[in-house]
Amino acid sequence: MKPPMKKKRSFQRRKICVFCADSGMKIDYKDVKTLNHFVTERGKILPRRISGNCAKHQRDLTAAIKKARNIALMPFSIIGS
Amino acid sequence: MRRYETIFITRPDLTDEDHSTLQEKLKSITHTLKGDLIKLEDWGQRKLGYEIRKNSRGHYFLLDYLSEPDLVKELERNLRLNDQVLKYQTVKISNQVSPDAARALKEASDIEKNKKGIEKPPPSEAVESISEKSETLDAQEGSKK
Repeated sequence: MKPPMKKKRSFQRRKICVFCADSGMKIDYKDVKTLNHFVTERGKILPRRISGNCAKHQRDLTAAIKKARNIALMPFSIIGS
Repeated sequence: MRRYETIFITRPDLTDEDHSTLQEKLKSITHTLKGDLIKLEDWGQRKLGYEIRKNSRGHYFLLDYLSEPDLVKELERNLRLNDQVLKYQTVKISNQVSPDAARALKEASDIEKNKKGIEKPPPSEAVESISEKSETLDAQEGSKK
């Protein structure tokens, strides 16, 4: 006999893309303050399932963060405490 | 004409004189290759995201200009050969800028320059106001778009 199925995970409210919700917000690689909301404290880019961004804006955001890293406005990684 | 944006970082120990000679050089290159400089921003010293050639700080500059691709090549060549420059990056903002739009951009930058001339803070405050400065810059850019 198969064990009983695991209970379904409770439905989570779908997060809304911040950039779609607020059209005044622009993704710019020079705007480090905004970009910092979308990286972990170690400097990694937050995945979409956490930040709730839509695919289009996540792509733009990733490109912007990578540009900012290249010109040393943001770190590639933060090592240590 | 295309619109480009070049950021370059210079060593933190340079004097103002070094900076002005470098700026003059870049301006003259822009001029000879028929590029239109929209603005040259001085972001001041900033902490780098990671060390570059053992430097943890750097002096940032932003060049915004309209030109053909050959100017980018020449500017980057000069920045590469200059050992005062730690790093540079050019980003293309738009592929096609019509002459009308170009004129409007230039005029807008001229107005901004005049404003800055009046409200320019004394240089002694420059270091403390870096973070504020970048904020206001962002605000200005936002309003332009």
